[in-house]
Amino acid sequence: MKLPVKVISNVTVSVTCLLVPAVLLAADTPAPKVIAITGGKLLTVSHGTIENGVLILADGKIAAVGTAGEVKIPTGAEIVDAKGLTVYPGLIDPESNFGLTEVSADTMSNDLAERSDEIMPHMHVADAFHSETELIPVARLNGVTNAVVAPASDDSVAGQDIFIQLYGSRQQMMLGTDVALAMNYGAEQRRRGGPQGGKSAYPSTRMGLITELRQTFLDTQDYMAKRDAAAKKDDKASKRDLKFEALIPYLKGERPVVIGVYEAYDIETVMGLAKEFHLKVILNHVTHSQEILDEVAAYKVPVIIGSIYDAPRANERYDAVYTLPAELAKRGVTIAIASADGGGPVSSHSARNLPYAAGFAVAYGLPYDDALKAITLNVAEMFGFGDKLGSLDVGKMANVVLANGDPLDVRTDVKQVYIQGVAVPMVSRQTKLRDEYSK
Amino acid sequence: MGRLRRMPFVAPFLSMLLALMSVPALGHAQSAPADIVFRGATVMTASNGTLSPGAVWVHAGKIAGVGTTVDAPASATVVDGTGLWLTPGIIDPHSHSALDGDVNEATSPVTPSMHMIDAFDNRSADLYRALAGGVTTELLLHGSANMIGGQAVVIKNKFGLDRDAMVFPNAPGSIKFASGENPKRVYGSRDQLPSTRMGNFEVMRMAFEDARHYMADWDAYDAKVKKGDKDVVAPKRDLKLEALADVLRGKLYVQIHCYRADEFLTEEAIAKEYGYKIRAFHHALEMYKVAPQIAADGTAIATFTDWWGFKDEAWDAIPWNAVMSMRQGVRVALKSDSDDHIRRLNVEAGKMVHYGGASEDEAIRMVTLNPAWIIGVDDRVGSIEVGKDADLVLWNHDPLSTYARAMKVYIDGDLFFDASQPGWGTTHFNGVMHEGGGFGADDEEDGQ
Repeated sequence: MKLPVKVISNVTVSVTCLLVPAVLLAADTPAPKVIAITGGKLLTVSHGTIENGVLILADGKIAAVGTAGEVKIPTGAEIVDAKGLTVYPGLIDPESNFGLTEVSADTMSNDLAERSDEIMPHMHVADAFHSETELIPVARLNGVTNAVVAPASDDSVAGQDIFIQLYGSRQQMMLGTDVALAMNYGAEQRRRGGPQGGKSAYPSTRMGLITELRQTFLDTQDYMAKRDAAAKKDDKASKRDLKFEALIPYLKGERPVVIGVYEAYDIETVMGLAKEFHLKVILNHVTHSQEILDEVAAYKVPVIIGSIYDAPRANERYDAVYTLPAELAKRGVTIAIASADGGGPVSSHSARNLPYAAGFAVAYGLPYDDALKAITLNVAEMFGFGDKLGSLDVGKMANVVLANGDPLDVRTDVKQVYIQGVAVPMVSRQTKLRDEYSK
Repeated sequence: MGRLRRMPFVAPFLSMLLALMSVPALGHAQSAPADIVFRGATVMTASNGTLSPGAVWVHAGKIAGVGTTVDAPASATVVDGTGLWLTPGIIDPHSHSALDGDVNEATSPVTPSMHMIDAFDNRSADLYRALAGGVTTELLLHGSANMIGGQAVVIKNKFGLDRDAMVFPNAPGSIKFASGENPKRVYGSRDQLPSTRMGNFEVMRMAFEDARHYMADWDAYDAKVKKGDKDVVAPKRDLKLEALADVLRGKLYVQIHCYRADEFLTEEAIAKEYGYKIRAFHHALEMYKVAPQIAADGTAIATFTDWWGFKDEAWDAIPWNAVMSMRQGVRVALKSDSDDHIRRLNVEAGKMVHYGGASEDEAIRMVTLNPAWIIGVDDRVGSIEVGKDADLVLWNHDPLSTYARAMKVYIDGDLFFDASQPGWGTTHFNGVMHEGGGFGADDEEDGQ
């Protein structure tokens, strides 16, 4: 897209963007130019707040960040006046199903989970990712620039996640494929029938679930040993087993395993298994871990909290889950916060509410800076993108958001989003409907 | 139940036993002070702007004074609201809380004689969590499996009091209608009528034809009685037709679940055909497409802020719907339809500042005075005005921001929630909370 004027005010940013057709989504993004964002309040995430700051975007990266006095604006740079605006790194949703769902109730538009078996590490989100989903522009308009896309939680081992940016061609969007293994443990994965119907089958209890996982990991280790032995002897390799192959990097601890688990006793059980096999764990949900918070901290693993809106127990105080991010952060746990609505599976229709979930954690005791980190830098670091995303630092991808106030407040309006240095059209199917019926 | 039916002698025995046990009332009888005065807080009245700071005097459960100063007696209990915000209690015009999932008698598409009060569990944790979010009044509605689901109950969220003490006294009756995908799915999956929108609306017309006939029989009977005819025999009472006749007589507020613009128009046409008024469309996600027509009919909407895409009929939902419809003359309320969202309707209202530029006043009215109108209790609650019930919430932050927490919640001048208290923060509840119905975003046949 082209910004037709060299110096643009806050107002013209949004006006010019409305004129840009959204078909750009499918095509490669245009080459980024040199942009100087001046006069804004920069929330760097990594090194504090800079009032009246200057941010230079060049070649899709952040070329300079500092105060007006410190940063020299390159000649020919397009100047974006951000006076009165807040400037911060693009938000990163640590759990989404972008491109795996369109209309929740319409099963034919969903590729959320392969339920035919509960051990499905060889399911690759990358194979199903529908980059042109209408959900992505909707979330992007509220400043979400990146996300982890994971399969739904039906299976013990659901498949492998991708790490995306929310703009560009399909290839440009998939910054990383098979970045993490999605695991789940608890009541939901028991094969007792369930929402999709079907009969009870093994594993129908937690005993079954954990035993099946342990056997699977042992079988994979056996497979690895035989394969390595064959390689040493220069024997003809045995037939490749895609399921075991998929698990190898995770059993070697090379990539993270995201374990979705809600109950305290389930956390203890599954962390026992994870320790046994030296998995590199990211815990997910931990909704009812209030009584083992110190233990969770002692695991020294990062934790994704979502949904912060899940209901507490009937005998618990109303804010037992709202306070979870604060309680974990207080104990030194690196946390991320997910966008999920309460009371059900993840639905990325609500991903645009990611900043508000973080704000809600602030309302219930989480320090503001920790909350912003929990939807930016911490997520990037958990999934191996800490050197590329999550803060306003030189050399990082220029994923930057301009808003008219506090990014975590529901009243704030995002004015412009940049992804890899390109001003993204502030258009979604919803803005088009709005504009069509506002005529 | 089946067991009771087979052994009819058990029921009277049980009630005798219960009487002998003399079950105590749930709440402590903590009497509220006769006079309370709130000073120092930013008062968002919902009807007459914001006073910063303002003062509010409560006498005998009613608001007795509002202004920059008030003439409260010296004996009044003073609540220091310095640095805090005071609003009317939040009102949810569409809740399925505290019903243990009993929201649809989905065995027939027309069940107008089902009464929500009969399923109301006043010890449900749903109520507590809503109270802690500042919700003081709820319209508990039937779900949307049926074209005509049944009659709602209006409650005041006096958590800890007996069931009947939580019912909003003398609130008008409401009846829930629904059309679209939910009844299509429920009955279509059984190969029953209605499996299409054509079937949806014809089911309603057929029901109202029966009701007209029934009403005529009763009108004829009443006329004869009035003339002094002592031999006339009353027609047999039919609870279903009686309820529908009450719709035709305008005795019940009609609350309709539907999503699509064409359905609003069809529903209005049927209402005109049979001579009743529609109080509000619920969900109403496509109202922005036909707002002027619906505004002319005087029908309000109770809508979600930003839920979309959960099914086909929610595909054209846009978060600007509420403000766009309001600007075109429709009375707009926000509602939860969720045991989750009900806990933070104030924050949902805050989103309206973002999506469409609602003023603070307009936004706060969407969760107070406007839902009160939909329920038909706007003369008694929904704003901070002299003479109204003292249903008030004290917040620690601007209630339209993400950061607001309800610190104290008063209903009829009585404190029901106090976040500074240890434990639950409840002031009247000391029983055992029941697990909520778990009713939320993903329940199939109920909400949305």
